[in-house]
Amino acid sequence: MKILTLLLTILAFAGLASAKEVQLLNVSYDPTRELYVDFNAAFAKYWQAKTGDAVTVKQSHGGSGKQARAVIDGLPADVVTLALAADVDALSTFGKLIPADWQKRLPDNSAPYTSTIVFLVRKGNPKGVHNWDDLVRPGVSVITPNPKTSGGARWNYLAAWGYALRKYGGEPKAKDFVAKLFKNVPVLDSGARGATTTFVQRGIGDVAISWENEAFLAVNEFGADKFEIVVPSISILAEPTVAVVDKVVKKKGSEAVARAYLEYLYSDEGQDIAGRNFYRPRSAAAATKYASVFPKLELFTIDEVFGGWPKAQKTHFSDGGVFDQIYSGQGVAP
Amino acid sequence: MKTVSSSIGAILLAGTFLSGTPAAWADSRDDEIRQLRDQIQQLDQKLRVLERKQEIRDEEAASKANAAVKVSASDKGFTLASGDAANSLRLRALLQADSRWFFGDHVSNNDAFLLRRARLIFEGGFNKIYEYQLVPEFGGTSGNGTLTLLDANINVALKPGLQIRFGRFREPVGLEQLQSDSVAFFAERSIVSQFVPNRDVGVQVAGNVLNGTLSYAVGVFNGVADGANNANNSDTNDDKDVAARLFSHPFKNTEGALSGLGIGIAGSVGHQGSGAGATPALTSGYRTDAQQTWFSYRSTTVAAGGTWRLSPQAYYYYGPLGVMGEYVISSVEAANGTNRRTVRNKAWQLSAGYVLTGEDSGYKGVTPKSNFSLESGTWGAFEIVGRIGQGKIGDDAFAGGSLSLANPNAAAKKVSTYGVGLNWYLSRAVRASADVFHADFDYAAGAAPVRTSVIADDENALVTRLQLLF
Repeated sequence: MKILTLLLTILAFAGLASAKEVQLLNVSYDPTRELYVDFNAAFAKYWQAKTGDAVTVKQSHGGSGKQARAVIDGLPADVVTLALAADVDALSTFGKLIPADWQKRLPDNSAPYTSTIVFLVRKGNPKGVHNWDDLVRPGVSVITPNPKTSGGARWNYLAAWGYALRKYGGEPKAKDFVAKLFKNVPVLDSGARGATTTFVQRGIGDVAISWENEAFLAVNEFGADKFEIVVPSISILAEPTVAVVDKVVKKKGSEAVARAYLEYLYSDEGQDIAGRNFYRPRSAAAATKYASVFPKLELFTIDEVFGGWPKAQKTHFSDGGVFDQIYSGQGVAP
Repeated sequence: MKTVSSSIGAILLAGTFLSGTPAAWADSRDDEIRQLRDQIQQLDQKLRVLERKQEIRDEEAASKANAAVKVSASDKGFTLASGDAANSLRLRALLQADSRWFFGDHVSNNDAFLLRRARLIFEGGFNKIYEYQLVPEFGGTSGNGTLTLLDANINVALKPGLQIRFGRFREPVGLEQLQSDSVAFFAERSIVSQFVPNRDVGVQVAGNVLNGTLSYAVGVFNGVADGANNANNSDTNDDKDVAARLFSHPFKNTEGALSGLGIGIAGSVGHQGSGAGATPALTSGYRTDAQQTWFSYRSTTVAAGGTWRLSPQAYYYYGPLGVMGEYVISSVEAANGTNRRTVRNKAWQLSAGYVLTGEDSGYKGVTPKSNFSLESGTWGAFEIVGRIGQGKIGDDAFAGGSLSLANPNAAAKKVSTYGVGLNWYLSRAVRASADVFHADFDYAAGAAPVRTSVIADDENALVTRLQLLF
């Protein structure tokens, strides 16, 4: 009987270990909903063919900064696919959920696709918006989300800053430029999707500073007869980053499938799905395939202009940072 | 001078006005319209911005409300839950006020009012996968002033198909035993539930698989006697009992009349031989439907070896109709001094209920469409129930003369039970019931029961109950 008892106990835990239905939670930022709907279906198919296991990936979306906070506060994400490295860094710095060198674990600094920041305007471009300077003109209403909660908004902010720095020279002038820009912002949404809703569905504003993929989606979904994309002379190379959340996957036993999930973003199919959803693929093949989709413009990187995300985050977006100074100076709390 | 210049100015103005009237008027109107249009657009934008800001504030408020602790109260209990529902505490209670009346017997002092069950039920979970249950019992035998902890367990709900439970809970054997007593057809469970284990301490792996059409459970327990609760962590030896159950709803995902069919088989195997200094327990007694003991072993008889049970079982629910059937063989090795024997006891029951007011019958009970209310003239739900059953003791229990395992003059060899009843569901939380039970007894050869014993006469009883469950 003792042997039977032991055998049953072992079988019980063996059953646990050999569970074949896997569930992952991908905590992502606002505009990636459509991308990961496509990608999750492809990955599930690939994983089942490879291992025989069924995998279901749940998605959670919101402002990138808010999403990072939620994971730090206990949202059990197996993987994060956030708008920028600083938000993933926070999982290491404040949550101790991933190692500090997480970015080295995957190719291209763990950014499997890139994007940039463009302008979405109403059909016919009635306010004549063509470049960043047009956003600071009096009477031009600009839509962008809140950089304190949205990764996309931080890219928007830094793109404007980088442009002003190059054109007018010096931090004070750049600060003045960005302050003028935010003076033209009537409402701050918490995430990029909310800002798109404000501009596209609520009819507010003359121009939305937007993720390139989000702008393409808006035009495709709501019609080229209503909106058009304006590409500025220069913008920022946005590198959304991804990471396995070590502490969660070790606890759940989902490490292998979570790693495979992110690695699959770099596969031919993963890169093709990225291109199809208007993210700029990393692989040469997919980049060539979708080259005609993406406009060519000069792109600067965050390392070149701001010395990397940690520095940019601290200088501009930490409490009391430049953005707070700009925005509270306008009498509105961010 | 002032007058002159004013006059000149007026004349010039008039001249200008008169000379250019049509074009100037048109330009002026166009400008005015343009300005008005711009003003309207600006006002429209301001209004839209205000509306959007309010919308964002509402979304943030809703988000905060979702994150806030939720408190709810209903006839299903009182619940405190975190905003994401991952952590919760639910407080429920069960109260049963019974009366039992026996007719035509010679047993003294068995008509009584009693508090059959008085339980607080604490349930909840953490992190969505860890569930717990704590059930202290204040009624029943605990009504004497003692408190019994009935259920106390932690369930790790990894997924529907894989759940691991640790602690004290019901062994997965008896179909009726596993059903909550508060929703069974009758106030008291049938004879069959006396022959299967009740609550025990151990670990169990269970789950629902194949789209919910098959449930399985297998557990390792200290081991208890038939009908017994392991209320004090007792274990008389190092051996453990294994209990397992497979139950299928083969047509669960179909729309037909068979969707409410469930069939299964369960059993247990163990060893209750004596450990050092311990007294291996046998059943404290098999009871009739009206809860009088019709069979028990002699006080000097102890468990002395292997024990096993096997129970095929089934139920069927279709609309207001419910039927449940169960059979069990319970085998135990027992000894009274030098008389050591294997006793194989058997029982079966078949019960049915029909909800007269049309509500669905089910394994989890009946929910009335309306509550009883004199004001609104609604009466709740009514259900009639019926049951037959039989329990039979193995011949070896009465063999061995003065060392027989059971005293044939005090313990019957067989009982046949019959019951009919009426349940009135005044609301989801309140149920009243009246059950009439009959039991007749067969004896071992040569038995001469004492005139005042339970088994001397057929048992005829009325059991009433008013129950509160939330």
